Amino acid sequence: MAKFPSDEWVKEYMDKLNSNADYQDAGSKWEGAITFVILKDDTFKDDAYIYLDLYHGKCREARFSNSLTDLPKSEFKYIGSYGNWRRLIDGEIDPIKGILTGKFKLEGAMMKIMRYTRAAKEMVNTASKVQSEF
Amino acid sequence: MWFFRSPEIIFGEDSLSFLKDLRINRCLVITDNFLLKSGLLDKLFRNLPESSKRMVIGDISPEPTFREMTGRIEEIRKFNPDYVIGFGGGSSMDTSKILFALNERPDLDVYDITPLVPLGLRKKSRLIAIPTTSGTGSECSWAAVLSEEGEKRKSELASPEILPDYAILDPDLVVSLPKEQTKNTAADALTHAIEGYVSSWNNPFSDAMSEKAIDLISSNIETVLKDPENIDARNSVHIGASMAGLSFSNSQIGLAHALGHSLGAYFKLAHGKTVALFLPNVIDFNYNVSAQKFEKLNSIVPERYRKKKFSDTLRGLFRSMGVEGSIEECGITRKEFEQNLDGLVSLASESTGCLTNPRESSTSDIRELFRNSYARLR
Ligand SMILES: [Fe+2]
Repeated sequence: MAKFPSDEWVKEYMDKLNSNADYQDAGSKWEGAITFVILKDDTFKDDAYIYLDLYHGKCREARFSNSLTDLPKSEFKYIGSYGNWRRLIDGEIDPIKGILTGKFKLEGAMMKIMRYTRAAKEMVNTASKVQSEF
Repeated sequence: MWFFRSPEIIFGEDSLSFLKDLRINRCLVITDNFLLKSGLLDKLFRNLPESSKRMVIGDISPEPTFREMTGRIEEIRKFNPDYVIGFGGGSSMDTSKILFALNERPDLDVYDITPLVPLGLRKKSRLIAIPTTSGTGSECSWAAVLSEEGEKRKSELASPEILPDYAILDPDLVVSLPKEQTKNTAADALTHAIEGYVSSWNNPFSDAMSEKAIDLISSNIETVLKDPENIDARNSVHIGASMAGLSFSNSQIGLAHALGHSLGAYFKLAHGKTVALFLPNVIDFNYNVSAQKFEKLNSIVPERYRKKKFSDTLRGLFRSMGVEGSIEECGITRKEFEQNLDGLVSLASESTGCLTNPRESSTSDIRELFRNSYARLR
C-alpha cells in the first residue's frame, strides 16, 4: 500500500504507467509534462503536486512535492480537491466528465489534450491500479 | 452528476412561423450557396418580422475552415445582430455557432471553445438553428466541426454555451431534400442514436431519445425514400434525427464516428456514408459489452428488417436504403486504402469517440476494424 499522494505512491504509479501497454499505445505520440494538483480540503491539509514528464508513451520522470515551485514547469495542470482525486482513483469519477461537471479543472492547450483523451483515460486507469491508501 | 441539455424545440408543419413571434431586429443568417439560390431561403425570410434588418452569409462550404467561416467577422460585429440563425445542413449550423461565439467575444481564441472554458456568451444575441437536412443533429448539439486548412483533420469544438437557444424543425424544409442526402443523413442519424445509446456516458435521458429516434427513423425512412413529399413521414424522420442529436450530444459518440471522421478526412466522402459503413462492424466489436442494449434496439426496428443479430438488422436496413456497406463500395481502391491505413488509424485513435465507446479499443483494434470494413461481408 502506498499513501496518496507521496513519493512512494508516485514511484509506484510511474512503474505501473511504464509497464501499461495500453497507455504506451494511447500516448505513443504525446510529448509534454503534466502536473496533478491535489488541493487541500476537509480531510487533507496541504496542497500537493505530482509532476509527470511524459514522452512517447513513457513516463521519463515523476516527482512529488508540497510546493509547486520545487517542480519543473509543465504544459498542463489537472486540478482537483483531495476528495475528488480519491474518487477518481477509486474509479467513481471519469477523468473527462470530472472536468465537464466542474470537479476537476484542466489548464493548458485544450485542443492538444482533446486528441489524447484515450491516453488520459489510461493514466487514470493506471492510478486505480496502484494500491492506494488515503 | 450529469446534465441533459436541449434547446427549446419548435417542430411540425408551419413551425417556421414561430420566428414571427420573436422580437428580431437585426438578424444574421448563415447558409450555403445552394439554399441561397433555392426558394427555401425566401421561406425563411417570409417568416421573419418585416421590420427586421438582415445580413446573409451564403457561401458556407460543406467543410468550412476557420478562414472561410470568419471572412466577414468584422462586418458581422458592425452589423451587431441580436439573432444569429444557422439555416442549412451541419456546416451552416456549425458555422453559426462559431460566429455567434466570436461575435460575442472578439477576444476569444476559437480553440478555447471547449467545455472546459466558461465563455460568457449571450450578452448580445441569441442563436437559432434551422436544419434543412434530417440527420446531423447539429441543431440540438453543443458541438461544431471545423476543418483544418491544408490538413486532413477536423477539430471538434464544443461548449454548452454554443447550444442553440431554439431549434426549429419544419418538415417543409426537407421535403425537397435529394435522395442521396436523405439516405446519408438518415444513416448518420441512426448512427447517432445507436452510438449515443451504448456510449459509456449514456444516461436515462439520452436512452429515451435514442429509442424513440430509432423507432421514428427506421419506421419511416422507406416511405420517405419512395415518396419524398410524404410530409408525415418526413416530419417523423426530421424529429427522429433531432432526437438522435439530443441523445449523442448528451452522451457521446463511439468508434463508428471515430473511424468515419477519419475516413471522411482522407477521402472526402459524405459524413453519413462514412459512419454507417463502420457501424455494423463496430456493433459486433462492442456486442458483448452492451448485449442487452443492442437486443433492446433490435426489438424497436420494424419486424421486416429484424435479424437475429442487431448488426445484421442494420446491414439489411442500410442496404435497403441504398447506403454503401463498405469502404470499397465508396469507390476507394484497395491500394489507396492500404497506402493511407496508418494515417487513418492514427487519426481515428485521436477521436474522443474512442473515449466513450463502450469497449476500450487499442490501435490494433482500430486497424482491424478498418480492415474488416474494406469489403462487405459476403
Ligand atoms: Fe454524425
